[in-house]
Amino acid sequence: MSSDSFGDLSWRRVVGGAAVLGLAVLAVAGVVAPESDAGRLLDILTAQTTLAATLRLSVPIAFAALGGIFAEKSGVINIGLEGLLIIAAFTGVYLTDVTGSVWMGVLGGVVASTVLAALFAVVCIEFRADQVIAGLAVWLIALGLAPFASQVVYGGPNTTSVETVGTLTIPLLSRIPFFGALFDATPFVYLMFVAVALSWYTINRTTFGRWVRASGENPKALDTAGVDVQRVRYAAVLLSGVLAGVGGAALSLSLGQFTGNGATMVNGKGFIAIVAYLFGNYNPVGALLSTMLFAGLDALQLTLQARDVFAVPKPLVRTIPYVTVIVVLALFGRTRTPEAAGDHYESGDD
Amino acid sequence: MPPAVRLDGITKRFPGVVANDDVDLTVEAGTVHALLGENGAGKTTLMNVLYGLYEPTEGTVSLDGEAREFDSPRDAIDAGVGMIHQHFMLVDPMTVAENITLGNEPRKWGGLAVDRERAREEVTDLSGRYGFDVDPDARIEDVSVGVQQRVEILKALYRGADVLILDEPTAVLTPQEVEELFTVLEELTAQGKTIIFITHKLGEALEAADEVTVLRNGKNVGSLPTAETDREELATLMVGREVLMQFDKSPASPGETVLSVRDVGVEDERGVDVVRDVSFDVREGEVFGIAGVDGNGQSELVEAVTGLREQTEGSVSFEGQQIDDWSRRRRIREGMAYIPEDRQERGLVMEFDLVENAILGSQHREPFAEGGRIDWKRSRQHAEDVIERYDVRPPNADAEAHSFSGGNQQKFIVGREFERDPSLVVATHPTRGVDIGSTEFIHERLLDLRDDGRGVLLVSSKLDEVQGLSDRLGVMYEGELMDVVDPETVTEEELGLLMAGEYPDSYERAALAADASADDATNTNVAGERS
Repeated sequence: MSSDSFGDLSWRRVVGGAAVLGLAVLAVAGVVAPESDAGRLLDILTAQTTLAATLRLSVPIAFAALGGIFAEKSGVINIGLEGLLIIAAFTGVYLTDVTGSVWMGVLGGVVASTVLAALFAVVCIEFRADQVIAGLAVWLIALGLAPFASQVVYGGPNTTSVETVGTLTIPLLSRIPFFGALFDATPFVYLMFVAVALSWYTINRTTFGRWVRASGENPKALDTAGVDVQRVRYAAVLLSGVLAGVGGAALSLSLGQFTGNGATMVNGKGFIAIVAYLFGNYNPVGALLSTMLFAGLDALQLTLQARDVFAVPKPLVRTIPYVTVIVVLALFGRTRTPEAAGDHYESGDD
Repeated sequence: MPPAVRLDGITKRFPGVVANDDVDLTVEAGTVHALLGENGAGKTTLMNVLYGLYEPTEGTVSLDGEAREFDSPRDAIDAGVGMIHQHFMLVDPMTVAENITLGNEPRKWGGLAVDRERAREEVTDLSGRYGFDVDPDARIEDVSVGVQQRVEILKALYRGADVLILDEPTAVLTPQEVEELFTVLEELTAQGKTIIFITHKLGEALEAADEVTVLRNGKNVGSLPTAETDREELATLMVGREVLMQFDKSPASPGETVLSVRDVGVEDERGVDVVRDVSFDVREGEVFGIAGVDGNGQSELVEAVTGLREQTEGSVSFEGQQIDDWSRRRRIREGMAYIPEDRQERGLVMEFDLVENAILGSQHREPFAEGGRIDWKRSRQHAEDVIERYDVRPPNADAEAHSFSGGNQQKFIVGREFERDPSLVVATHPTRGVDIGSTEFIHERLLDLRDDGRGVLLVSSKLDEVQGLSDRLGVMYEGELMDVVDPETVTEEELGLLMAGEYPDSYERAALAADASADDATNTNVAGERS
């Protein structure tokens, strides 16, 4: 089909070229006229604080996205990531408060998220529930439960402030202009990069990863090869709970507080994570890059508002990730959903 | 040396059906054995018993002279039996090597990581040993179906299979790929592997196998070395006749031509000509039958007539009008009823109840719908009428289609189609998998319809049925209409030969062919210049 080659090559070149050209124009304009809007924008874009904010905002999204990749690659669409982040964020703060140790808090967040993921797994895998509905239930349970628990314990939707994880600054390297932000960050930022690399390796190079992929593409093939599909799926969903748990705990323990008003402090990050891994075509590295793109836009938007460069309404900026993914999917259709994602599988079924 | 595979008195019963009835089968090591039979003859069931998917109700399986009991395919695989299913069990986005080693990956680093180098080497060695030409790094979704099949074979060999079962391996292949497959089978047996392949094509059985076993209605009706048999004998064995059916049939009084098929050719999904140059007429008040072994183009021909598939050549007329560009909907509206061969796939929506199923095909128009709204009261009345008149049991219009037995589903379809008041009924295998009582009922209704002056095009591979019901009988072989014969006078031997693609000695083709009216000079002999 001609439209295929059109979509694959020409469009990608046109869009990519336009983006590069736009950035070049901005850079030239910024350098030539530092006092213009373009100049100020360039200034913000190249600021070390922008990168630092981007990394900070990326952590919960990236961990949730990695979790989502494992679950969906195995054939279980986990749209409850948002709920896992919420429950982990609250539990992290609560246990830090109770035990006095941030790391016990992180552990508690991971356990809480994993338990909720296990519930989701049993409902989907054992009882054949619809994955999308069960995933929404996970979100709604956490959305109700976390602020309620906060109300009970702290008398309001927001918890008290607890100790934060603090930052880990690497001497010298952190002084590099702009990129120094990579070496002056919370331990979660470093952990995020390690988790991305490990996830990539697990999916592409280990037997477990191979079974996860087969389980999401053609579970019957895996079954006839003598591997228990349900066990592989349980493992993948539990792993998504662990990863989202780290992300949720990182979110609240970087700030030292859980805020439970409205959509809670998680505020859609679990859903952006889904968008991020779809955008990254289920590749952990791709998911990280798209996470950083979305987080970067968010960071930029925050600074822009503070500095009053173009008056971009915040709600509009917040839609950018969603709009981007729709445009990209429509133009390129590159994301390849696992064949059996969303389908229940039981040995012996036809 | 004991035989590689020996099945003794295998009986497999499912609720209400005997799929295998006391079947014996012996396959010598290092040979190719064809399991031949019509759809539903019990071939796949028998092989599923050997592969551990089904436990036999009675009988024993032995390999190399040793009795075995398999609880699951895993046990069979461990005992050296591999099965290549009709639908491949491959993971499309993975590579050939990844698929072959799936579940049995060579490992390194304490079993954690896949040793991809070794996997590739092992796969390359294995495919080299059998002369297979496959690239271990190619993705399954990028290679042809023929290569995918070889990957499936390699997968079984990688797991140590000595006995390979292939279920209808040629169904998805192009003719060239079929030849390549047969070469592969030769290479495998030369290296001591034992092959059993399931097929309903007798030509393939004769070409590729050393020995052939024919199954009919779940029974072994003969095991013969291919060197000592021929097409005719196999065809007769396959379709044979169990009980001579008696039909209480008045002589036909044919009227106007209702369906006229001229020089029709049809291609299948692979672009292979499966119907070539077929012409015939069906007249009011007669049953025109098409006999032949399954898979000789009958299904595709019927699909062309009913508008489900576009013919590549020729044309079809209905009641004097050319209908080649008529939609399916229009054909139904103008009075063409259709009893499809796969009632669960095409005849009914299994999750719908009978009220909904009763109006399928008429759901958009009066009397069942008006202005986009369905009149459920009338639909229900109609469903209940069909249920009553066609004796569908249990008589519950609210039950979903899948809760009925095959025979009752079929009676319901027959009823729905007949109640359209059609001028032509196209019925394909109308009694396949249907119990005796329902079969007789359907036969009677078909004859009633004929006596009422409608035309009937009947396709069936049951010889007694098609011969007993038809007033004129066409025989198809490899997409061609061999001849049209008088079912009253044709001998069984002649039919057997025609179904096998041969003309009996000193045989004169009947002039009945396409020629409905003897004075129609343009209608010449159908079978063309076959020499």
